[in-house]
Amino acid sequence: MVAYIVRRLMLAVLTVWAISVLSFIIIHLPPGDYVTSYIASMSASGSAVSEGEAQALREQLGLDKPITVQYAKWMELVLQGNFGMAMEWGRPVTDVIGDRLTLTIVISVAAIIFTWVVALPIGIYSAVYRYSFLDYLFTFVGFIGLAVPGFLLALIVMYLGFAYFGANVGGLFSPDYAEAPWSLGKTWDLVKHLPVPAIVLGVAGTAQLIRIMRSNLLDELRKPYVMTARARGLTEYRVITRYPVRVALNPFISTIGYLLPYVVSGSIIVSLVLSLPTVGPLLLKALIAQDMFLAGTIVLLLGVLTVIGTFISDLLLMWVDPRIRLGQR
Amino acid sequence: MTAEVAAAVAAPDSVAEQRIAVATQWQLMWWRFRKHKLALGATFVLAAFYLVAIFADFFAYVDPHASNAQRSLIAPQWIHWFDEGRLSPYVYGLKGARDPMTFKRVYKPDTSTKLPIVFFAHGEPYKLFGFIPADRHLFGIEGTDTAEALVLLGTDVQGRDLWSRLMFATRTSMTIGLVSVALSLVLGVVLGGVSGYFGGLTDTVIQRIIEILRSIPTIPLWMGLAAAVPSDWSVVQVYFAITIIISLIGWTELARVVRGRFISLKHEDFVMAAELVGCSKPRIIFRHMVPSFISHIIAATTLAIPAIIISETSLSFLGLGLRPPAISWGVLLQDAQDVQALVISPWLLITAFPVIVAVLAFNFMGDGIRDAADPYL
Amino acid sequence: MEMKRAVSVLSSFGLAAALALCPAVVAAQAAASPPLGASLIGKLEGPTIITDVKDYPKTFKEAPTLDAQVKAGKLPPVEKRLPDESQLLVIKPLREIGKYGGNWRRAFTGPADHENANRINSADKILTFDYTGTKIVPSLARDWKVSDDGKTTTIYLRKGAKWSDGKPLTADDFMFWYEDIYLNKNIVPTPFFEFQINGKDGKMRKVDDFTVAFEFPEPYSFFVYQLAGSTGIGAGFATRGAFQNFGGAYAPAHYLKQFLPKYSSEDAVNKKAKDLGFDNWVSLLKNRYSWALNNEVPVMTPWKTVSPINTPTWSMERNPYFWAVDTAGNQLPYIDRITLTLAENTEVANLRAIAGEFDIQERHMGLNKLPVFLENAKKGNYTVRLDPGLNGADVALHMGNSYEGDAEIAKLLRNKDFRHALSLGIDRDQLNEAFWLGVGASGSVAPAPDTIYSPGPEWNKKWAVYDPKQANELLDKLGLSKKDSDGYRLRADGKGRLRLEMITVGGSFVPFTAVGEMIKQQWKKIGVDVDIKEMERNLAFTRDNNNENQIITWANDGSEVLFLFPRHALPVDAAESHMGMAFARWYASGGTSGKKPDDPEMIKAFDLFRASYGMKDEERTKAAKEIWKIIVEQEWSIGTVGQSPAFMGVRIVKNNMGNIPDRQINAQHVRTPHSSWPETFYFK
Repeated sequence: MVAYIVRRLMLAVLTVWAISVLSFIIIHLPPGDYVTSYIASMSASGSAVSEGEAQALREQLGLDKPITVQYAKWMELVLQGNFGMAMEWGRPVTDVIGDRLTLTIVISVAAIIFTWVVALPIGIYSAVYRYSFLDYLFTFVGFIGLAVPGFLLALIVMYLGFAYFGANVGGLFSPDYAEAPWSLGKTWDLVKHLPVPAIVLGVAGTAQLIRIMRSNLLDELRKPYVMTARARGLTEYRVITRYPVRVALNPFISTIGYLLPYVVSGSIIVSLVLSLPTVGPLLLKALIAQDMFLAGTIVLLLGVLTVIGTFISDLLLMWVDPRIRLGQR
Repeated sequence: MTAEVAAAVAAPDSVAEQRIAVATQWQLMWWRFRKHKLALGATFVLAAFYLVAIFADFFAYVDPHASNAQRSLIAPQWIHWFDEGRLSPYVYGLKGARDPMTFKRVYKPDTSTKLPIVFFAHGEPYKLFGFIPADRHLFGIEGTDTAEALVLLGTDVQGRDLWSRLMFATRTSMTIGLVSVALSLVLGVVLGGVSGYFGGLTDTVIQRIIEILRSIPTIPLWMGLAAAVPSDWSVVQVYFAITIIISLIGWTELARVVRGRFISLKHEDFVMAAELVGCSKPRIIFRHMVPSFISHIIAATTLAIPAIIISETSLSFLGLGLRPPAISWGVLLQDAQDVQALVISPWLLITAFPVIVAVLAFNFMGDGIRDAADPYL
Repeated sequence: MEMKRAVSVLSSFGLAAALALCPAVVAAQAAASPPLGASLIGKLEGPTIITDVKDYPKTFKEAPTLDAQVKAGKLPPVEKRLPDESQLLVIKPLREIGKYGGNWRRAFTGPADHENANRINSADKILTFDYTGTKIVPSLARDWKVSDDGKTTTIYLRKGAKWSDGKPLTADDFMFWYEDIYLNKNIVPTPFFEFQINGKDGKMRKVDDFTVAFEFPEPYSFFVYQLAGSTGIGAGFATRGAFQNFGGAYAPAHYLKQFLPKYSSEDAVNKKAKDLGFDNWVSLLKNRYSWALNNEVPVMTPWKTVSPINTPTWSMERNPYFWAVDTAGNQLPYIDRITLTLAENTEVANLRAIAGEFDIQERHMGLNKLPVFLENAKKGNYTVRLDPGLNGADVALHMGNSYEGDAEIAKLLRNKDFRHALSLGIDRDQLNEAFWLGVGASGSVAPAPDTIYSPGPEWNKKWAVYDPKQANELLDKLGLSKKDSDGYRLRADGKGRLRLEMITVGGSFVPFTAVGEMIKQQWKKIGVDVDIKEMERNLAFTRDNNNENQIITWANDGSEVLFLFPRHALPVDAAESHMGMAFARWYASGGTSGKKPDDPEMIKAFDLFRASYGMKDEERTKAAKEIWKIIVEQEWSIGTVGQSPAFMGVRIVKNNMGNIPDRQINAQHVRTPHSSWPETFYFK
């Protein structure tokens, strides 16, 4: 078992390295670099950037060196914990991401809580009262949630909010609290704005979860021990919750690990539509501006989270499934 | 099914039961599938979609690229179904002008002339399948330039007919899914199979590669790759580049399923029997092992398509996938990208319906196939 | 069905409104039908600068917030903070004396959007233009003189004017910039184009504590315009700092000295830089130079930064040492604070504006959203105004005059008749209707007829009308008369269909790609096939630099002030040129690199252009008109629709704001909205 863990760990490190290389390459694929992007945006606001300035900027940012050198330089910094300066923001990358990371996590956690709190009871209900009207209704709604792309739902929600409430439901803070430092009032303002993004983000996952929960629970409910429990005189409630539900929940535990990367990257597209100040829009802007440090760090971060998530998943799975623990593969 | 087969074995006299006993795997699957009404319905819906995709030129009634600023942002048209008691659909022509106070384009129906809608009308010429010249469309308006009169689903800001664009968008979006999934399928089956059957070092290496690929967060990867597609490529080239990019990620899931199957099947008796008899490895793989799980592969493949459709739609919506002048659902939805566009022209969101229906249909059909293929349910 | 009904109700309402206006419309048509949008375009107006010392106020007042600080002993009294009495900048507000107070809310889109507030804070320009954009008036400097031979331009500073930290602004700040920053090759590697005449550098000289002279080896009477325009040397320390390219002509010596190796040591400043997370002292200096990124740097602007631009909220508060007053002696500005909130993208900014969350916002507002703005004006309690631009084309098709890739196409692109034919095949009214809501003006790239360099209104229409018949004739005569089965012309070299490539830039204020698509449909009728390729801005510009683009769509803003911002009119600037980078390099390097144009008309335009900088005003204006005539006649860039409010011309103003002009000039050289003196805006 220890050997297994060690092997997985080594693999994780290798994977992270591979991701760093890949993300670096991808960011450098589009022709041009940050300076060309800078010149272009300066030009769009009618300003001059002379060739000499451009060259000086390149040298200053180290963009005129071959790509292997740039990568090495970046890795050197990363290993020291210095993720560089976000070129457009003129602030350290950690600062820029840090602001948004907290919010990203808050939103995603809210979405996950929404998903689980809504989906599990519905899934259980659907399994127990199979083919009832509510079951069909939930199944139908679930499917709609599955089929509607997240960004579309976000758009519709924004439109409805605007058309009927004249309000701008995008964003996470009211204008008054936007610049204020963190306080109880600001936290409450955030909570007030959370439902919309959380629901939009959570809907697709909810549908999926309901389906899986329902089918898992159905499988369990068919098993003989359930009938035995009933025959023994347990109340229906206990019959269902004491064993079948727990067993049905097993597969989810092993997928908890995957929640980690989802927490950061799952909300990207919806964030773009709802204009939430999270990592998603930041990444898109960074990719377009070819801001190497910022984009590279975000992708690396997401990759690392994924790897950690997978690792945790594997550990959990190993703990839950004795077959793996005992060495049979 | 087991009960039925058992019954058939017990009383082999009846014709139906005899049929079951000698039915091929595919016939059995089909009979089971037929029972799943939802899946069956979904299949018909998808067939209709693909019909539209193939015959898009026929279903559209004007050139989807033809712009006309004078017909910008017309709302969906009201069809009058009854003309003096008879079922004879017709529409009124529209005259438009920009209101100087609100800056919106205002359209007045011209009630003096009734323009009847005719089925199989003559219209814009096109080439069926790319080489057969034709000019009949599903419907149109005889005698007048259809472009001037018919706007079933309204027009966009450039005055292009939404219905016609939707027909062509269906073609692009439905086929991109197929191409992509086909690629994933090939990669997944081959690599997964090799990995599962041969095991050992090959297995380890391929598995590691799969893990690394799976660890890369997909959306940033797409964004990065899409941003990297050379923009001097033509629309068609970009289309294929995007499908390849999407499939490069998708194959890993399929590979894992295939590998899992191979591993479990490796130890089955019939495989050992084939080996003992002296069958070559390829023969064992393709003649004996693959058919036993191909139904699963089909199910997994079908269920992968909706995700691909949604990815393409999302990417194009963001401006990273297909871009104008290509027409796909994602590109059409880009027009409806902001709330203000929706406020002025909400009909631009109509494109959402085919997306939702197609995704649902694929899901139901995939569910149905999976249920039909798995003998243990 | 609900949707259809709602929409038809809406359109019938609109119809009713239109019908109700009918008599008015008819009456107007009887006169001369006003262009669409006329109701939203007001009279051009703005505040005036009082120059006669006799009219200067003698007593002064200040904002209550500053009053409190003075009473608490934290600030000297207002008379001590302002410059000497005769040295003030006195502004007569547009309508009335304003009231102090308020927080001006706006939207910005990120650290790259510094122009958003730079342009509000541009009073620190050395000189500036009046609200018509035609006359030079004083700003930071109170007066100027150009010598008769044009070789020396002298500016006179305001005695007693102080930086925002109370230290005096003197000629030493100018010399500091010149000697320690501009001449330091590590900081400014190449001289500024504006500070040279015919390739020869200018010099700065201190005459006395409050007088600075700019000296040139050859006549350069145009230089005073460079000081007044939005250039590297004239646009003011704040703006130049935000651009981080060390422009400005002056800088706060007492603050910036600590970041220069000259005043300590290279090691010391490098260490300082590394401690703060910067690569080296130049990066640190760049960061410290910018008023937007650094809230400690002293400024001469009406507002100074509190929370920097690289945070979700960029906020500013009043500068207690601002050196201007109104005619009643109130120290400006009236408004206490400006708060810009980060909008993830322009759509969000528009949405918030529609919801009435901003007080004055002209930046990022989309013309295509005009109907929604108008619909919500009452609920949002704001008014919508349109400020048309002065440039001829919001979308110009810049032809790749130095394109080399395909011999046949390169030959055609260099042929004037081919360019004319393409231009005649464009139905500009259609484009105007679809994308500019009919508010723009169809025409060539020539600037608006009422600008000083305009060669005349007929040049706005020359070669820029819709005449497919003539277009077809021209193309036939060029040997392109053979067509394929789809009706497209075949190439003369036998390589199949003639297909051009048009590069469009995505994600801009103007929908270049959509315009390109419409043009593609229109060119079908003249038999020309074109591939529209949308790409990111930097890729498109990189290809420009490598002469790879056949046609690229881009705006030609700024071209109306030909000499201050020539790059969108002529290929003369090697940093950005869309109609022939190889030629621009040739011009800029004085013939040592790049490629010489083979078009004699282009050489003629170059020569006139080069000579103009040394000419006197009258002669120069004549030269400009000649240059524009050549540009329009040769059509190196094809104009479509311009003179529109598409760029920063849709102005949303809350109804409780005062001293707001009905129409303000919308141009780059006046740094709109600075020309309307935002210092005089106030909350009623």
